[in-house]
Amino acid sequence: MVLQNTVILQDGVPTRFHFSDHHIETRTITDAATQQGVRRNTLVLNVDRLDGRAVEAVLTTMAEGLAGKFEPYLKDKSYKNYKIIITQRGDGFLRKWTVQFIPR
Amino acid sequence: MARKTQQVETRLVAEYLLATYPQFPHIAGVPLGRVSEQLMAEVGYEKAIRMSRPIRPEVDAVVILPRFLVLIEAKVWHIIDGMAKLPLYRSLIPFTPELREYRNSEVIMELVTPWTNPNLEIMCRDASIHLHVFKPAWIAEVVARVQGYSTQEYRAAREKKLRNRELLGLE
Repeated sequence: MVLQNTVILQDGVPTRFHFSDHHIETRTITDAATQQGVRRNTLVLNVDRLDGRAVEAVLTTMAEGLAGKFEPYLKDKSYKNYKIIITQRGDGFLRKWTVQFIPR
Repeated sequence: MARKTQQVETRLVAEYLLATYPQFPHIAGVPLGRVSEQLMAEVGYEKAIRMSRPIRPEVDAVVILPRFLVLIEAKVWHIIDGMAKLPLYRSLIPFTPELREYRNSEVIMELVTPWTNPNLEIMCRDASIHLHVFKPAWIAEVVARVQGYSTQEYRAAREKKLRNRELLGLE
């Protein structure tokens, strides 16, 4: 689902991406426990194809469990060489991601 | 220093996949095992997969080679646990709906770890598990921490840290 230009992953639904670029943003969010503002790195991936359609959108994540799966692909942007299918499962701290890299 | 919750093994397996199998389809974080057919009939395939999530184990990665399926577990801390899981995970492949089209592929089991020891090598050989020592530069600090965990210096430093946390009301 494309909401404005941000892709929202839906529970259990595989979503097919091609990413054209990325950057890391620092955002200030409110910590739920302390109600204090804390700075967090966010991985922002530019999406140029979504489920086979050309789009201009972004997928963002602060979750280390998802960003960590992309970490080695960021250095030389080698994610561009793959179709990537992401399936998000679960909620909160129990959320997990299956990430499939298919060479183009 | 790395945070307590840092997902070291996620990063380790991602780097291993890119370094070793860049030209083949690879999947990180794959649920394994049966999904109730009755549930699939009642609520549909996708919802049944979602509802089965808590009772399905997850292997760190699967690589799809032309004739083989490679099951990968990456471990830094409890290496023998990773080794022990692999043959059990392999037994679930014929029942995994997401891997249906690969159920006739021969399965290769790989344990990826930044450090090893002779007994681990003997056990892996006996269980037909390929042991790959994979040591990206960043993991040296993590390995040092793992290997120092049972030393007196580490325990003393940890006790001091816990005392300070308690004094500061952080626990």
